[in-house]
Amino acid sequence: MPPWQIHVVDEDPVAALITQRALQAMLGEAYHVLADPTPDTAWLACANNSVDLLIVDPGPRASSTLALMRVVRSFRPGLPILVLTAYDSPGLRARMRELGIERYFAKPLDLRDLLPTIAATLSASTPKSPGGASLLTMSLSA
Amino acid sequence: MSELDALRAQLRATEERLRAAEMRAAIVEREAELQQRQALSLSARLSTILSISAALLIGRDVDAIVQRVVAEAVGLFPGTMAAHLYLLDPDHEVLSLRAVAGGGPPTCAGLARMATLAPRAMLLVGPELELALAELADSDQEALRAALPDWPPTSALLTPLRVESQRLGALVLYGGISAHLYHPRDIPFVQALADLTAVAIDEITQRARAAALQRDLQITRSLHAETQARLSSAQAQLLQSAKLAAVGELSASIAHEINNPLYAARNSLYLVEQDLPPDAPQRPYLAIAQQELSRIARIITRMRDFYRPTRAELAPTNINTLLRETLELVQTHLRHGHITTSTVLDPDLPPIVAHADQLRQVFLNIILNACDAMPGGGELRVVTRLLRSPAAVSIVIQDTGIGIAPEHRPHLFEPFYTTKAQGTGLGLAISAHIVTQHGGSIDLESEPGRGTAFTILLPVEEERGSEG
Repeated sequence: MPPWQIHVVDEDPVAALITQRALQAMLGEAYHVLADPTPDTAWLACANNSVDLLIVDPGPRASSTLALMRVVRSFRPGLPILVLTAYDSPGLRARMRELGIERYFAKPLDLRDLLPTIAATLSASTPKSPGGASLLTMSLSA
Repeated sequence: MSELDALRAQLRATEERLRAAEMRAAIVEREAELQQRQALSLSARLSTILSISAALLIGRDVDAIVQRVVAEAVGLFPGTMAAHLYLLDPDHEVLSLRAVAGGGPPTCAGLARMATLAPRAMLLVGPELELALAELADSDQEALRAALPDWPPTSALLTPLRVESQRLGALVLYGGISAHLYHPRDIPFVQALADLTAVAIDEITQRARAAALQRDLQITRSLHAETQARLSSAQAQLLQSAKLAAVGELSASIAHEINNPLYAARNSLYLVEQDLPPDAPQRPYLAIAQQELSRIARIITRMRDFYRPTRAELAPTNINTLLRETLELVQTHLRHGHITTSTVLDPDLPPIVAHADQLRQVFLNIILNACDAMPGGGELRVVTRLLRSPAAVSIVIQDTGIGIAPEHRPHLFEPFYTTKAQGTGLGLAISAHIVTQHGGSIDLESEPGRGTAFTILLPVEEERGSEG
């Protein structure tokens, strides 16, 4: 069975690196955790149907991250999205609820607290191949 | 002989002249007595009128005055068998009997309606009186007949009670003894009595009205002072909240910026820990670092939550009630500013989970801003309605003021940005902060010279707790 593909999108490169490294270390070889350098690359992976879980931080100025979430919600409604944000506020929570995001966590949490949610989210699905067929082509700037 | 006859004739003529002179003297004497009696009567009447005048002017009770007037009238006009005084109800144009002297109280107005409409006092005798009585309805005639000691009256004095052009009622005197028919010289006296009565009643009425107005004025002043005090208190609270919110905004901003580095440091330690052997001497220090970073995380969370309403402060809140309370609070302020208000409040709004005091501050702040935008008066319109998808309460507060210049609009919700000389620049910043903390949004549309409309959207569903 191929490993589950988890993609991390965070505009803070250090935060993105630590999320990727720590989750990879905690989850082991059954999971493949990747940090996408930009929301566009994350969308490309989602469009290729090779992502099982998307972890994003929709920061206050990360409009392209929000665009990524909206487009994923529209074209890959079955793809689970987990919000892990340093900018927690009731307003952000409300916007996330409007997007249908159910998994919402605020930094600076200990990533070990995230593991049960990740396991529960992925347990109901089968891992996707990292080189899946390209079904959609769409730019986030659209 | 002829000389003797001539003397006799002269004597007879002299005797005739003497008798005629005696008769003239007797007539003059009677006239003098009559004049003297009239003078005495006149003097007595004047004296009575003066004493009534003094009594009426110090009277404080309408009933006491009218009772005294009818009692004095019977004595003042000999031959009076009954005196009736009626007062007019100004609202219903109905005459009601207020005082009676002689006979029983009539169940009708009798000649009082005629008296009320007369310009001045009038005397009715003979055919004139018969005609006036005949013009009464049969039932009224019967009622008057039952009330008077004798029927029909031999004469009647009718006089209106008036002050300037205002009709207050009428005084009617019925004469019952033929030997004392009323005389035209009675007219000025009865008119004087009526005028004194009218002035006394009018003065009491005016005094009562002035006292009522004074009470109303005191109540109004007291209410005004109370409203002003509440408004001042609310404004002071608003300013205090704005200061707190500014600190809160700063705290939240710092907390957000620290979160990512803290998060990275905290989870990096996990990675370091993974590579250390179980008995590595660095492990205790690593544990200390993890504990201290957790402590910083707790401090940061407290900073972030500064000025955010806690769950305990949130309660189901009726937005329409909050808006009505806020408008009531500024009612005097609006009236003094010549600002009219209109509200269209959706009665089907569901309660939303919110911090009522904070939302009240938001509404108060926007309404006071609207007042400032209408220095020459205008219209304030408040509209609420329920939006279905997503479920939210929409609150629109609209003014017809000077509007907001386009260059100011991008900065309106920034802390310390103000276009007012005395402004703090925190009002709209705190309003936006509070609305955002409630998961809502605030926006505005404005046209310079036409006015501004603020729209606040508040989600209807209950606030969920953070998972993080």
